[in-house]
Amino acid sequence: MDVIVNGDTYPLPEPPTLAALLRSLSPSVPFVVARNDEVVPSRAYEACHIDSGDRIDIVHPAAGG
Amino acid sequence: MEGRQNDDRLTAYGQSFPSRLLLGTARYDSPALLADAIRVADPAMLTVSLRRQLSGSKDSGQAFWNLLRETQRPILPNTAGCLTAREAVNTACMARELFQTNLIKLEVIGDEINLQPDPFGLVEAAVELVKRGFQVFPYCTEDWVLCRRLMDAGCEVLMPWAAPIGTGQGPRNPRALRELRERAPQIPLIVDAGIGLPSHACQVMEWGFDGVLLNTAVSRALDPVRMASAFGNAVKAGRNAFLAGPMIVQDVAVPSTPEIGRPFRSASPLSA
Repeated sequence: MDVIVNGDTYPLPEPPTLAALLRSLSPSVPFVVARNDEVVPSRAYEACHIDSGDRIDIVHPAAGG
Repeated sequence: MEGRQNDDRLTAYGQSFPSRLLLGTARYDSPALLADAIRVADPAMLTVSLRRQLSGSKDSGQAFWNLLRETQRPILPNTAGCLTAREAVNTACMARELFQTNLIKLEVIGDEINLQPDPFGLVEAAVELVKRGFQVFPYCTEDWVLCRRLMDAGCEVLMPWAAPIGTGQGPRNPRALRELRERAPQIPLIVDAGIGLPSHACQVMEWGFDGVLLNTAVSRALDPVRMASAFGNAVKAGRNAFLAGPMIVQDVAVPSTPEIGRPFRSASPLSA
C-alpha cells in the first residue's frame, strides 16, 4: 500500500488523502501538486483521496529560461 | 521623438510592458547576480520553471520564490524539457496553480540534441492550452506554416528561435526570420533562444521584431550584470533604429558631402 512521490515510494498515509500525505512530507512552500498527472488545487487537498500506486508529483518554483 | 519612445511599449494578450526584453533566470552563479542582472536589464517579464525539489536543498524553491517576488516583475512560466503535448499541458496547469498566471511559455521539444521545437506537439498543446484559457507564448522555429498553425490555434504571440537554445550563435536563418516578420506584421514576435551577443538582439530589433527573450547570454557572461545592461541598451537601440526607419541600402557610392560648390573643380593634376 504505497504511493509514488516524485518517483520514490512512500507508505499510503492514514487517512488516505493528499492532505495527510502533505502533512507527513511537509514540503517547503510554495509548491504545487499533481496526482496522476492532474494538478490538484490547494483547496482540494483534504478532499483528494489517494490510492495505492498513485503517482504524486510535488514541484516548486525553479530557475528557467 | 521622446514622447514616441515613451509610448512605445510591448503589448501581448492585452497587457502592455515598458520593456521589450524578457530575461531567463537560470544558470546564474548566485541569486545576487540574478537580482542585479534583473535590476539593470529592466526586463518586461522573467521566465521560470517548475521542478521537483532536490534532496539537500530544502528551501531553495522558497528563496527563489522570495527573489522573484521582490523583483515585482511579471512571471512567464515555461514548460521546458517537455517532450510531448500532454506533458506540456500538465506542466502548464501546474504552473498556473503555482504562479497564479495564465501566461505560459510553451516548449515542446522534438529533438534532444539541438532542443528544436516539435512542431506537431507544439500545435497540439497550443490548441489545448488556448481552450483552457492560457495565454500561450510558443517557442517555435521560423517556419511560416508552423507559425500560421499556431496563430490559427489562438496564439497571440510567437517566439521564433534565432538558433538552438544556449548556443549563442545568433540568427541562423536571417532571411526566414525577416520573411516571417513581413508575413505576420500584426502579431507580436519575440525572438527566443540562440541569442549570444547584444548585436544579435539589436539586429533582430532593427528588423522589426517586438522583443527578445534570452538567458544564457547574460547568465554565462564573465560579468552577467554588465552584460544584462548591454542587452538592455541593445534592445532599445535596435527598436529605436526600427522606428526611425533605416536608410535604403545603395548599390553604388553616394557622396554624403554636397558636390555643388566644391572649389578647385577644374584645377590641373598635381603632376602636370
